[in-house]
Amino acid sequence: MIVRYEPWGAWVKAETTPALVALDRDGVRALGLDGGRAWREGAEAKASPPIEVHLAVTSRCAAGCEGCYLDAHPDGVEPPAETIERAFDALAKAGVFTVAFGGGEPTLRDDLGELARAARARGLSPVVTTSGLGLGARKLEQLRAFAQVNVSYDGASEAYESVRGFDGAAAAEAAITKLAGTGVVVGVNVVLTSGTFDRTKETIRRAASLGATEVQLLRYKPQGRARALDYLAKRLSPEQARGVGPLLRELAAEHEGRVRIRIDCALVPFLSADPDLASRPSELARWGVLGCEAGDLLASTRVDGRVAPCSFTAPTDLHVEQLAKGWAGEPGLAQYRVYSSSPAEPCASCTLRTVCKGGCKVVSEYANGGIGPDPECPRVREHAVSLAEAGAAE
Amino acid sequence: MTNEQEATGKNEEPAACEGEGVLCEASVRALRVGHGANCSSVGSVIDTLFLGAAVGGAVFAAVLAAMKVEPVTVVGEASRNDDDDETEDGEGT
Repeated sequence: MIVRYEPWGAWVKAETTPALVALDRDGVRALGLDGGRAWREGAEAKASPPIEVHLAVTSRCAAGCEGCYLDAHPDGVEPPAETIERAFDALAKAGVFTVAFGGGEPTLRDDLGELARAARARGLSPVVTTSGLGLGARKLEQLRAFAQVNVSYDGASEAYESVRGFDGAAAAEAAITKLAGTGVVVGVNVVLTSGTFDRTKETIRRAASLGATEVQLLRYKPQGRARALDYLAKRLSPEQARGVGPLLRELAAEHEGRVRIRIDCALVPFLSADPDLASRPSELARWGVLGCEAGDLLASTRVDGRVAPCSFTAPTDLHVEQLAKGWAGEPGLAQYRVYSSSPAEPCASCTLRTVCKGGCKVVSEYANGGIGPDPECPRVREHAVSLAEAGAAE
Repeated sequence: MTNEQEATGKNEEPAACEGEGVLCEASVRALRVGHGANCSSVGSVIDTLFLGAAVGGAVFAAVLAAMKVEPVTVVGEASRNDDDDETEDGEGT
């Protein structure tokens, strides 16, 4: 169990029953622990470092997905292992719990397993996302070193191709099967687009039948190669965005106890259209639902070591090796935290404000040129319509 | 727990802990089960929101039980100071 003291108590990462827990001070004391200087007066003045960091271990990838948010290429950069291990040292020093290997395609590295073990040796939980393309016996063995492996899988052939521009479904399905067969905890990442949304239930059934025990639903975001006009066609329609809550309810009922259903931070705003979920903000918070945590509980690093608020945002000048010292004061990170803590209307009066934190800033930046209310959030859309109608009436 | 809560999965606020020094649900500000395995965005487990209260309570109980027996490693203390002092005066048992 890994514990990181915070002014309010501590973050705890349980290992035997994998879970992330925020415990208050009484709970921490009940474990026989004391927060020491983190609990002393004045400790709240500084922003705490992230608990989860997405680390690009390569920018190489041959898949050529149309919507790659990092615009990865076959001739990308692959930092030496020593560089990545120094990043691990910095993450451990800062008190990061989880390091999510990404890229590019992480499995293109021959030393992937060694890197995962190096992360573990520093107390970090390594997880990884892969396309599953070219997953042979050697790479499969390397992936056994990870706490969990997620395979990008947007559905059967047609659905997969509509998202990524090529049909890699068979390779992804084979990877899920192989990973599950060797005892690796395997999940799938499912990107929701206007073209695949209606097939989500079918996609998850298929993934579950292959051995996936977790599904992470992801919102399509306008970054990298997806930052194009095509984004407007691929993003969820307003009707589909309003349908996310009911879809989650159906998925939870169908897969209860067998497949864990997760959503990414950028889908949280869509829950505002679900009257039941929107009326339960304290429960969402209690079950660890996280909206935009960019620059707060989450950070991302590029292959050159620069730290970004999240994988989809521009990197700052902060280098990962300075994470512990530079996190709180880096203005490029702080601006995300500041907005999330006090977003503008209609987010300010939303019941889900403290969970959602103003929606996806990547989308607002794409649509409006700056951090602001997420323009695809159903509540924000309604607010915009109301303002327009009021303006027309005057 | 009421029948409505059991049927809808809406959990009531946890009861206060029974006595000092007891780890219980009321001390949990947030709980997210599983690993965060995606490399591009933060993930949140959502199906737990639709669990019946009894099942949800069992999830909390399982995690709390595990926490009581796992060995503890304290991390990150130095990060909240401007110096490189690695002293961990918050080290636990």
